[in-house]
Amino acid sequence: MPRIPLGDWVNSTVDWLLGHVSWLFDFFKAVFTGTYDGINAVLQAPQPLLLAGIFAVLAFWLRGTLAAVLTFVGFAFIDSLELWDDAMITLALVLVATVIALVISVPVGIWAARSDRVSGLVRPVLDFMQTLPAMIYLIPAILFFGTGASAGIVATLIFALAPGVRMTELGIRQVDKELVEAAEAFGTSPRDTLLRVQLPLALPTVMAGVNQVIMLGLSMAAIAGMVGTGGLGGDVNEAIGQLNVGLGSEAGVAIVILAIYLDRMTGALGTQVSPLGRRAAAKARATQGLKIWSYRPRPQIAVIGVVILGLVAGGMGMFGGGSDGTAPVAGAENVGQGKKVTIGYVPWDDGVASTFLWKEILEERGFQVDAKQFDAGPLYTSVAAGNVDFMTGAWLPTTHEQYWKKYGSKLDDLGAWYADTSLELSVPSYMKGIDSLDDLKGKASDFGGKITGIESSAGEMALLKSKVLGDYGLDKEYQVVDSSTPAMLAELKRAYSQKDPIVVTLWSPHWAYNDYSLKKLKDPKGAWGKGDGIHTVSRKGFAAQNPVVGKWLKNFRMSEKQLTGLEAGINKAGKGKQQDAVRTWLKQNPGLVDKLAPVQRSTTAAEAKRPVNVAWFPWDEDIAVTYLWKNVLERRGYKLNLKQMDVGPVYTGLASGDLDVNFDAWLPYAQKNYWDKSKDRLKDLGTWYRPTSLEVAVPSYVKGVKSYEDLKGKAGTFGGKIIGIEPGTGEMNLLKTKVLPGYGLDKEYKVVDGSTPAMLAELKRAYAKKEPVAVVLWSPHWAYSRYDLTKLKDDKKLFGQGNTIRTISNGKFPQQYPQLTKWIKNFRMSEAELGSLEAEINKRGQGHEEEAVAAWVKEHPDVVGRMTPQ
Amino acid sequence: MSSRLEAEHLYKVFGRRPDDAVERLRQGADREELRADGTTAAVVDASFTVEPGQIFVVMGLSGSGKSTLLRMLNGLLEPTAGQVRFDGQDLTALADRELRAVRARKISMVFQHFALFPHRSVLENAAYGLAVQGVPRAEREQRAGEALALCGLAGWEKSWPDELSGGMQQRVGLARALATDADLLLMDESFSALDPLIRRDMQDQLLQLQQTLKKTIVFITHDLNEAMRLGDRIAVMRDGRIVQTGTAEDILLRPANDYVASFIQDVDRTRVLTASAVMDTDVRGDEADCGCESDCEAATPDTPFTELCAISARTGHPVAVLDAREKLVGVVPAQRLVAFLGNEEAAHA
Repeated sequence: MPRIPLGDWVNSTVDWLLGHVSWLFDFFKAVFTGTYDGINAVLQAPQPLLLAGIFAVLAFWLRGTLAAVLTFVGFAFIDSLELWDDAMITLALVLVATVIALVISVPVGIWAARSDRVSGLVRPVLDFMQTLPAMIYLIPAILFFGTGASAGIVATLIFALAPGVRMTELGIRQVDKELVEAAEAFGTSPRDTLLRVQLPLALPTVMAGVNQVIMLGLSMAAIAGMVGTGGLGGDVNEAIGQLNVGLGSEAGVAIVILAIYLDRMTGALGTQVSPLGRRAAAKARATQGLKIWSYRPRPQIAVIGVVILGLVAGGMGMFGGGSDGTAPVAGAENVGQGKKVTIGYVPWDDGVASTFLWKEILEERGFQVDAKQFDAGPLYTSVAAGNVDFMTGAWLPTTHEQYWKKYGSKLDDLGAWYADTSLELSVPSYMKGIDSLDDLKGKASDFGGKITGIESSAGEMALLKSKVLGDYGLDKEYQVVDSSTPAMLAELKRAYSQKDPIVVTLWSPHWAYNDYSLKKLKDPKGAWGKGDGIHTVSRKGFAAQNPVVGKWLKNFRMSEKQLTGLEAGINKAGKGKQQDAVRTWLKQNPGLVDKLAPVQRSTTAAEAKRPVNVAWFPWDEDIAVTYLWKNVLERRGYKLNLKQMDVGPVYTGLASGDLDVNFDAWLPYAQKNYWDKSKDRLKDLGTWYRPTSLEVAVPSYVKGVKSYEDLKGKAGTFGGKIIGIEPGTGEMNLLKTKVLPGYGLDKEYKVVDGSTPAMLAELKRAYAKKEPVAVVLWSPHWAYSRYDLTKLKDDKKLFGQGNTIRTISNGKFPQQYPQLTKWIKNFRMSEAELGSLEAEINKRGQGHEEEAVAAWVKEHPDVVGRMTPQ
Repeated sequence: MSSRLEAEHLYKVFGRRPDDAVERLRQGADREELRADGTTAAVVDASFTVEPGQIFVVMGLSGSGKSTLLRMLNGLLEPTAGQVRFDGQDLTALADRELRAVRARKISMVFQHFALFPHRSVLENAAYGLAVQGVPRAEREQRAGEALALCGLAGWEKSWPDELSGGMQQRVGLARALATDADLLLMDESFSALDPLIRRDMQDQLLQLQQTLKKTIVFITHDLNEAMRLGDRIAVMRDGRIVQTGTAEDILLRPANDYVASFIQDVDRTRVLTASAVMDTDVRGDEADCGCESDCEAATPDTPFTELCAISARTGHPVAVLDAREKLVGVVPAQRLVAFLGNEEAAHA
């Protein structure tokens, strides 16, 4: 049977999608995160109890007094569990996924109901979506959408779409055929038949579908915690990772409360929106008589109630949130405070580049910058008149000599930022043997006797024709072709790509030198004259009024490489996107903004502006180190987004660049499989903790088992089983392929594939009953502090030399965070430090990690300085 | 004034390549042959004319194609071949939109299982056709109320369909069909789902309404008694073909073939036949000379069979049948009555 490489096909499809339609995923991501952020902001804004009140009023309206009371109690309970924020995140996630799912599934369901072919096509797709294990598309979801809300929403959508489509189709198909025929017999149009007959009658079934969508969405939202969506799913995930059944059940109960609320409310909404349901409910009430517990207000009253509470909540949210409203430019960097600056420029490459560079820099420094394009004459006029604050493209003393003479007295020269301009003839570097103007002699036939020129009006052309060619005796041999700068460049590009001989009129700086390998022909006779400097010229008194900017401009310098590089970038980006190109270029030249426009800052580095996305596993050492870095870096002005995730997603997220850093990489063995998969896109920032070890451990009450050799012949004691963790992890692979065979245990013992939480649960169970058990474990691990365990001795060193715990980041991280990278690379922690920190965190309990770290740092005052030396 | 409905050579074939199938049917192919190929000929070469104001009953067993035929008359099903003309318009040539307009204004329909919209009140149901026409709310509610009153449902407007008995629900269905003032009323086994007693009531009510409304009605039924009772003319369908068209008496007395004959065996002739059908017209003029006292009971040609029996029993000799001018047109001997009750062959012998 030939192996069908389905997996390879999927891999290449995924790669192709990533490479070619990422814009589409970016679009969806924007839609998803936008909707999610909006809903989340609304849900997070009000006081918890106030929002609980709003939920209660909704329940009051839809189901009556009892439901309202229970709702309030339920949500208050979530609040008292300190899970409110997470619950709202989950709720927002589910709501967004539900809304999107309905937007997709109801039309598809209608379509499927009307066409058997569509129905036949849709059904297997739905089956596929519903039964494919979630983990399989969670990871690609990160690849496509990054970690966080959008990946969670996509996973939820895939899972929850099916019932929406199915129930809509079913509902419509269930409508009595005779009724549809009756509608048609009276001349109803197909659209009206759908809207007036089929949909109203299908509504109860459709609403049951909505209900299913929400329920499945909720259950999926819990799983999506693994990819860093946070919320209650994150809590559950964290609790499972630490075998903290207590916290797990708290989060679980919160999910159940949400589920029950959403279920009952959508159910009631179903009755409310469907005419039949309303009648049935009214009938039921009539027979029951008026009772206080089932009393329901009229919709108007309910709406008024919700609006009032909503307004109160909104108002409080506004006042509450006012303080943390962040200005786009923070603190010391906000030199401009919104002050207006106008820069004028002539649309020459160097002028455009330097102008937009300053526009970007000044905007980053809090100025409001207006960049205006002029012809050279009007520009000087405007600067002299004070309408424009400064220009960066003054070619002095030669080119703009006449303007300077005229307006010089009303202008300030802030100095040349680029000294070495020159005019020249250039040839591609593949033209061997032609290095100076002299070499052109007698080679006219090579070049077809042509020098490709620019606009005939340009000063350079006049100089070339009247002086340069004459001085070198080339005027008989060569003809200067008048043309235009773009035409000259096009000609150069064409000839260059075909390696044709060409000589062009050019000047420096020019981006062509960046894009092509060109030789400036030497001018030993100095026929071109001495080059201009490019100066910054401002209106009179500008520097005095704006001393900071004045100083920046006076100190402004650019190298030819920088300038041509920037020009080339701007040229590539095209008109209207100059500033984007500048931004891109600045990103490739980190630190330049601070060099060009230095500001006094406390200790905040420029890189601190972008929040760092830190992924962490719910393992003790990682909790400790992650919260320690959070504490320390926040003192240095950084902002850290902590995302709790499973190992696989962390590596995927780092590789895709969506996550920045993880402090708990067990390499080179334990997480080898993950590392190998995407090491090209990851950076190893070094070890901060050693030694670690991988091992099989048994409780110390199992006597006589100290090493792997001792396991031999004891299979009966352990039931022939070694309780493993996730299959495919480095440690498991090592155990199965090297350790067990190495000690001759592979026939006797079977390694049970499972998961870390399952292994820990089994250990706990066996330990409590004092049963013999052998588990796959590693050090450091909290299990060693909680249980009395024996690490089996590995005399043959088959588990290898032990991992070290390292910090890994995505590929861009070292450039994006040079300072942080340096700190991390130098970071070390001793066993005592890590132990005491973990102990402190364990003592304070979950949810109080930050206090614990703060207390620990107070006792270890040197740590901050050691981790982040200034 | 109502208009004439004409159906000409209607075919309806379900399945692949229906046009080929029609061609084969025209050349005399059999329904069974087509079924072997997976195509179903539901209606084969059906032609008839319904005069304005007539009740035309199509009768046949289930699967005979009568419902399909009915649905071609208002375009719910498009005929595979043939034409339907109503009010001078060829319905088969109309575009969907025009066809819907015709259905909304000129043709209405009453269904076997009432097909009332459960999410609308009785009044809204009755007003449905008017709503489709775009009649303003006040007017359509008034007209729907009138139609309900006509069907004996005044006072039930605010009720919901599921609160009514079957007979009342069908009255709503009838009111819905009448409210639009359509000339042509298609009734698809409309009374079949009702109890016998209520069915009879409804039949009476329909006949009574028809006396004043004079609609053109096509009524589908599988019940020959109902057909005989309601139909001005009756078409009997078998296997998609119309095997006989005629008045009730035509069908009863002159069945076109064995199928029709077997079909009508169980019919209660007494409810259909009148003296004119039973009497012996071969009169010499002396049969009535019974020797009774001057004025003994006689029948008219319209006297129903049952009454004829009663007269015969009272008089004890053949009953004279006199026309409007008191002229003797026939006599009915008692043994002839008995023969008609028995079987037809004997009656003709």
